[in-house]
Amino acid sequence: MKKVITGDHAVAIGAKLSRAEVVPAYPITPQTLIIEHIADFVNDGEMDAKFLTMESEHSVMSAATAASAAGARVFTATSSQGLAFMHEMLYATAPLRLPIVMVNANRTLGGPPGIWCEHNDSMGARDSGWLQVYVEDNQEALDMVIQSYRIAEDKRVLLPVMPCIDGFVLTHTVEPVDVPQQQDVDSFLPPYMPDITLDPAKPALFNTLMLPEYIMELRRQTAGAFESAKKVISEINDEFAKKFGRDYGGMIDTYRMEDAEVALITIGTVTSTSREVVDELRKEGEKVGIVKLRFFRPFPAEDLKRVLSGVGAIGVFDRSISYHGGGHVFNEVCSALYGITKPIINHLAGIGGRDVTKEVIIKMFDLTLKAAKGEKVKEINWHNTRGETV
Amino acid sequence: MFEVRFHGRGGQGAVMAAQTLAEAAVIEGNYAVAFPFFGAERRGAPVLAFTRIDAKKIYSKTQVYAPDCVVVLDDSLLDTIDVVAGLKPQGTVVINSKEKPEDIDLGKEIRTASVNATSVALEILKAPITNTAILGSFAKATGIIKIESLEEAIKSRFGEKLGEKVGERNALAARTAYENTVIGKSRGIKKLEPRKQWLPTYQEMPVGGVLVEGITEAGLIGPGSFIENKVYGWATFRPVRDREKCTMCLLCWFYCPEGTIVRISDKGDLMTNYDYCKGCGVCANECPVDAIKMVRARV
Ligand code: SF4
Ligand code: SF4
Repeated sequence: MKKVITGDHAVAIGAKLSRAEVVPAYPITPQTLIIEHIADFVNDGEMDAKFLTMESEHSVMSAATAASAAGARVFTATSSQGLAFMHEMLYATAPLRLPIVMVNANRTLGGPPGIWCEHNDSMGARDSGWLQVYVEDNQEALDMVIQSYRIAEDKRVLLPVMPCIDGFVLTHTVEPVDVPQQQDVDSFLPPYMPDITLDPAKPALFNTLMLPEYIMELRRQTAGAFESAKKVISEINDEFAKKFGRDYGGMIDTYRMEDAEVALITIGTVTSTSREVVDELRKEGEKVGIVKLRFFRPFPAEDLKRVLSGVGAIGVFDRSISYHGGGHVFNEVCSALYGITKPIINHLAGIGGRDVTKEVIIKMFDLTLKAAKGEKVKEINWHNTRGETV
Repeated sequence: MFEVRFHGRGGQGAVMAAQTLAEAAVIEGNYAVAFPFFGAERRGAPVLAFTRIDAKKIYSKTQVYAPDCVVVLDDSLLDTIDVVAGLKPQGTVVINSKEKPEDIDLGKEIRTASVNATSVALEILKAPITNTAILGSFAKATGIIKIESLEEAIKSRFGEKLGEKVGERNALAARTAYENTVIGKSRGIKKLEPRKQWLPTYQEMPVGGVLVEGITEAGLIGPGSFIENKVYGWATFRPVRDREKCTMCLLCWFYCPEGTIVRISDKGDLMTNYDYCKGCGVCANECPVDAIKMVRARV
């Protein structure tokens, strides 16, 4: 059934279709609509969930962790300062291997205060033990909530997942979304059946003090789950594609990469605009393509190596700055492609919510094409930034 | 380089002893470092501390595995811990014990100095805190540090924290122990089985480290496993309750950090399970009618 809805609405429907049982929440722009829609669903009896209004995001993640440990399927959503406020609890959830799904509406992390799209908020949580997937439209946002539960609850993974959606660009934009049927989602996503839960009748110790004799093995175990997640993500993507007819590619997606001489690695909604730019540049005879980075954790190092083997230069778009010089994606791509001698050019744009226009994306391709031809190009480029030349 | 490992129990001041020894070494113009190993610390639990002394700057930041000297602040540790593990063959053990070295079985014949530091401490400090006394014995046994330097370090460290008087009393405890130290050779009869530990590989580790009741070759794990952790050996004192005075207010039951005071019935009597009483005295301190007296559990 097609519905013309916002990204936030799509995410809320995704949580409802996934039959989330506990939703602790604290509102924050631009995530607020998600919480409001879920509150309505629960109030109207459309969704059989315990909706908990908490006093802070720190408490939200505490409640989410406890509810998940008790065996419930848990959903929540946050953004920016809210994600920062629950930072401590993010680190408690993941090593416990609790399959919570939390949508982050990407927003500037102050200071300076700002409510518009930027990836600095979720990038700061990249090493908290959560899987992260970035989406490009409202359909993918809804679908990834459902897929995220399958990934998170898979016994080979058992890790929390954070689907990231660009603030305002998706959260407050309406577009047509094909809403899956409940019975189809039910057959795709069976109920959550954990082996051990918080149960007074069968006591268990969760998150107890661990001496140095144990923590290294626990960390190694968690790292192993991230490795296994790569295969699981791809399997579940294929299963979803078969059932619902939408194939997102798994860890990454590619667009017109077959004979591309230059690739731009994109993340979030800029992928979407870049598809049109690629079509236009292709018409002009430029052999360009896109590699859409979907999962940032685990990082798709092997996939990138495979799809980028034929190109002459790689452009990397970042909507966040890591203060080592470039952005987070650039950092990881360089690390993943270590040993490859082709130029890797970082394109910083859209930070603080500045619109990433087609002109800016064309400029990214231009610079990367120049680098492919052996011309000298700066490694790190601040696009559309006063005082900078690109 | 001279390396020392201190074995004590939480509350006995092993860490302070290690630090004070380091300060004394520095007073003599040497370089020294001292550091604790913090386990799941609480009053009475076995603790470790280390001191390294050298003429030049010490760069090593690891624990000490082959000490030149082992200092044991509490001889009840000998039942469960192989204190001489890794000790160099020419090394020395300095031990708080009422026994002579010849009567102390360390599972190894080794140069040993003994002193009844608990008695010294009770007499001079009025508390069973043996860390300064045992340092005096260390000075006598090893000759690594002059007793005068130790006294100066003790006065400075303890004096600064607890007042000049306390500093002087502790220096006196060190001097008294120094003079009463007996040096000889330990016996080497008993075989101390190394304590079995549950050390799962990362694949064997329960997912997320979440533990249910279970048994391993090292004993119980998970909820309820603490039952194996008897702590009576930690106690210098044990509580004795005067039933006549007791008003059944239950404050002792509430405050006991080991949960070892048991309500036999809702109305009925209280019972202290001495297997799990570490002798901390919290119950006696909390009792509003002074119905609990702490009596010496061992000498
Ligand atoms: S001395 Fe008292 S408070 Fe301390 S462990 Fe024993 S019974 Fe409990
Ligand atoms: S605190 Fe004292 S009076 Fe109260 S129950 Fe314990 S022993 Fe009795």
